[in-house]
Amino acid sequence: MNKKLISIIISVAILSLLPFLVTGFWVRLLTNIFMFAILASALNIISGFTGYAAFGNMVFFGVGAYTVAVLMNKYHFSFISSFIAAGFISILLALILGFLLLRLKGHYFALGTLGAAEAIKYIIDNLTELTGGAQGITIPSMKGGPFLINISFYFIMFALLVIIVIFTWWLSKSRLGYTFKAIRANEEAASVMGINTTIYKIVAWSLAGLFTGLAGAIYAYWFSYIDPPTVFDVMWVVRMFVIILIGGAGTVFGPVIGAFLLEGLSELVWSNFLNLHLGILGILIIITILIIPNGLASLTTEGKGLKGLLESIRKNRVNAL
Amino acid sequence: MLPQAIINGILLGAVYGTIGIGFSLVWGVMNIINLAHGSFIMIGAYLSYTIYTVYGIDPFLSIPIVMVLLFLIGYAIQRYLMNLVVRGSVFITLTFTFGLQILIANICLLIWKADYRSINLSYSGASIPIGGVVIPVVRLGIFAVAILLTFLFYIFMKRTKIGLAINATAQNYEGARVVGVDVKNIYSITMGVSAALAGVSGSLIAPIMSINPFIGGPLIGKAFVICVLGGLGSTVGALAGGLVLALVETIGTSFIPSSFQNLLGFVVLVLVLIFMPRGLFGKRLYNE
Repeated sequence: MNKKLISIIISVAILSLLPFLVTGFWVRLLTNIFMFAILASALNIISGFTGYAAFGNMVFFGVGAYTVAVLMNKYHFSFISSFIAAGFISILLALILGFLLLRLKGHYFALGTLGAAEAIKYIIDNLTELTGGAQGITIPSMKGGPFLINISFYFIMFALLVIIVIFTWWLSKSRLGYTFKAIRANEEAASVMGINTTIYKIVAWSLAGLFTGLAGAIYAYWFSYIDPPTVFDVMWVVRMFVIILIGGAGTVFGPVIGAFLLEGLSELVWSNFLNLHLGILGILIIITILIIPNGLASLTTEGKGLKGLLESIRKNRVNAL
Repeated sequence: MLPQAIINGILLGAVYGTIGIGFSLVWGVMNIINLAHGSFIMIGAYLSYTIYTVYGIDPFLSIPIVMVLLFLIGYAIQRYLMNLVVRGSVFITLTFTFGLQILIANICLLIWKADYRSINLSYSGASIPIGGVVIPVVRLGIFAVAILLTFLFYIFMKRTKIGLAINATAQNYEGARVVGVDVKNIYSITMGVSAALAGVSGSLIAPIMSINPFIGGPLIGKAFVICVLGGLGSTVGALAGGLVLALVETIGTSFIPSSFQNLLGFVVLVLVLIFMPRGLFGKRLYNE
């Protein structure tokens, strides 16, 4: 544990100094990786810990982004106040949707969240007066030179990532986290033990929605332009799922490691093969699920060394038919 | 205006039904949501497009070829990939089938490029006027084929040994195994049949919609709505669900702006899930 703590402190120190030493490209790449790590960690709370496949989670990203865009563009709010508003609206949305949808289980919940996300996308698309509709909406960009802007977004995203990782770490040790895991393991049993599963599921989804919405809020200010098909794209949630799969669902650092691997690789390697980008992601998904469905975190469950590695892979595979 | 919208809705609804039947078959039998179903439809559409442009064979006549090819693709995918993960969690199977979907979309993109393609039949303008409405010949043909296939599928599930084995596996997996059903093979055949139905749907929409490698996503959205409306794993339900969705779309657009058309489908999906999670007919298992 001490070893782990030291390596975490060193990584945080390196990541705090790094933006002053590398070029803007790397700063933006890392900011992007941080954003995906936040999104995946947020999804991890509802899907990894609580076991509910929230396939429409990009709805919070889009709504958070649009809250900032509308407040800053139409009502001239500052970023800070719109950022806080985005958090509140995301939680509110999760409460409303959660109340309606969290009585559904398994596939039905996945479909319900996806349907709700698509419906909200089309609503925002049609509220042209307020949101600019299909034309998209611009957000006043941050004042300052490119270096200052790059560094600012790097540290805003990094701070949010540190907060969610600390939160997830706390969750993994807390009563709340164990409650979530109990719901994942056996919802009926948890309910019999006196847990009000509906309320806890709504809490889990609100937490996921809050962090996803905040990431969306930063994204909108960072990119200065958003439109409905981009921020409500189902690919966001697919990438979150793949990141969790690679890193390991229900773990603290799995989503962070997964984000570094997936987004780092996809930017550095596949961006050179534009025509094959989707196909490579598809193959990666298939191979990951066939070989390590519980993520990299599961590779050491059966001891160390090559033998332990192979044994871990064998034990953790999905049972074939 | 309204009678014409109803006619268009009914004619389109039969194809939506075929899409829903294949999708709901896999869901009902194997308990997985196959997000690659939309890509099977797309492959079917591209195959009939290619057969039409290269060999000049009418898309209605190439349907048997498309069905056989798609059956083989579906069978192979289930046999050699899906059977390995079909027992995984919702999280696993959803992501896996999405991986398949984007892989297939990318392969189609490489073969057919990103351009929008469509089949312009020589008789695509022909129509039969009845009373105040017109019935386009192509759409009538599409309707007839879709209804015929739905009927044949119903007979297949009720009267053939394989159909009964699929039903048995859907109802009780262990029980079917005990009485000697080769579950691996039945699952593969189920996926093959589902893909063949998807392929036909693709052939049928090719003359009336434009095709590109990214139609899989929107089509799978429609399949969700149809399947949830009709209730899981019911042939008649899927046909009814398809008709309802098509009618909602065609009638809806006569009264509200077309930009709301997509919204309508998803609002229906969410409302049905919340208030009638067993679908309009309350059926659950296959042809129960």
